[in-house]
Amino acid sequence: MGAPLPETSARKYDLGFAKWVYDNVDGGDKMAMCMQCGVCSGSCPIGTQMDYGPRKLFMMIRAGMKEEVLSANTMWNCTSCYRCVVRCPRDVPVTYILQGLATHAVELGYASKRDTARFSKAFWWSAKTFGRTDEGLVTARYYFSEGLVAGIKKGLANLKIALSLIKTGRLHIGLPKKVKDRKGLQAILEKAQEIEARQNSGESA
Amino acid sequence: MTDGPKKFTYYPGCSSQGSATHLDQSLRAVAPALGLELEELDDWNCCGASVGHVEGGSLPNTALSGRNLAKAEQQGPQDIITGCAACYLNTHGTNEKIKKDVALRRTVNEALGAADMSYDADLQVRHACEVIVNDVGMDAIKERVTNPLEGLKVAGYVGCQTVRPFGNTDAGGKYDTYDDPEFLDNFAEACGAEAVAFDPKTACCGGSVSVMSPDKTLHLIKEILDAAKEADADVIATPCPLCQTNVEIYQDQINEKFGTDFQIPVMFYSQLMAVAFGMDGKKDAALNQNTIRSEKLEGMAKK
Repeated sequence: MGAPLPETSARKYDLGFAKWVYDNVDGGDKMAMCMQCGVCSGSCPIGTQMDYGPRKLFMMIRAGMKEEVLSANTMWNCTSCYRCVVRCPRDVPVTYILQGLATHAVELGYASKRDTARFSKAFWWSAKTFGRTDEGLVTARYYFSEGLVAGIKKGLANLKIALSLIKTGRLHIGLPKKVKDRKGLQAILEKAQEIEARQNSGESA
Repeated sequence: MTDGPKKFTYYPGCSSQGSATHLDQSLRAVAPALGLELEELDDWNCCGASVGHVEGGSLPNTALSGRNLAKAEQQGPQDIITGCAACYLNTHGTNEKIKKDVALRRTVNEALGAADMSYDADLQVRHACEVIVNDVGMDAIKERVTNPLEGLKVAGYVGCQTVRPFGNTDAGGKYDTYDDPEFLDNFAEACGAEAVAFDPKTACCGGSVSVMSPDKTLHLIKEILDAAKEADADVIATPCPLCQTNVEIYQDQINEKFGTDFQIPVMFYSQLMAVAFGMDGKKDAALNQNTIRSEKLEGMAKK
């Protein structure tokens, strides 16, 4: 949050960025209602660990600071607590906008190394392959997404937790739980991806 | 309550087969006693939780809930019920969005068409706590209590997504406030326990950030534990699978990092109900599935 804005001299502005966010991010059009009161940033449980709180991020979007916005850790540190959403006096769906920015940051190649991006990749793999989240497999894939050594290190750091969950029957071991109609589910997701790509490319449905 | 059980299509969610089997087990155990019939949603899939949109994209993530809603519609007109905060948030949120946004409904149905499915957007998706508050009522809980949890001090920790952002909306059942909800305290008291004063009722446990990078969020969980300890609570009670796991499993790491000595059991409200209803401590209340066990509650439970 309290971080200073980046140096102005070398900064590139994309004056169409705000319009792009309004048009392409879910709930983005409502961002136009933001009056910079800061209730969102003040309500955020983890705002102190964000490069910029939501209020400042929204101002940066309006200023056209595309690079800085899409490279920010703000959306990756959002815990989806929805406190900003229920408190915003202008009904701006802040959490949803951050989620949309996260999706676009990944698409546009700004975020592949972020924890959440790597976790999300493992998560979606499980959702798409099995139709369900196998928490153990997703966590393991996430741990090892930074490489073998990092994976082993993370695994060992949380070994005690894993063992306690196994002991209490809360870490599923063995073949992942699956939906019966995986073919149907995957066809739906592929079709949805296809529609979204079509919409993003500007062709109307 | 009306005569005979009220039927629901029950969406247990992925955590019911992993980290929150004790929520699923205890909820299924107490439901009939509360007059609720839970018929499992056939071949349900993941809701996308808090991160599905990131890699999957917005529409595919929405389509996950779309498939569950279409499946539920095939199963009957009864309301969908879920005990999981994230499942509720996504399924209810998508459902309400599809109801209002005709273009989105058409798009989701185009995707569902790939598996010969469709959804007319005429169902309601409800959180188990809201159903217990609005359809069951505290008196009905009290009537079922045969083994009051006398002397058990409970810190009611609601967490975020159970009440935010839908808790105080018309479609969300208008059942409690965002910042100071009372329902969990009322559940505990109806079960004969003492609900202690506990400020961080809807504080955040860090959600999936705690799963990925606990170093960023251990201090948030510590605040919740601090308040429970200050109130001299025997147990923390919560409705949320992720809150339960996060607040429970990281206590050792918090103790190591902050020099504290937390060892506070974190239970689901439905586990408390199962014990208070005189049900089996293991088979129904699943008390053996907590990594930090409550000797006090286990001492009260039927063996």
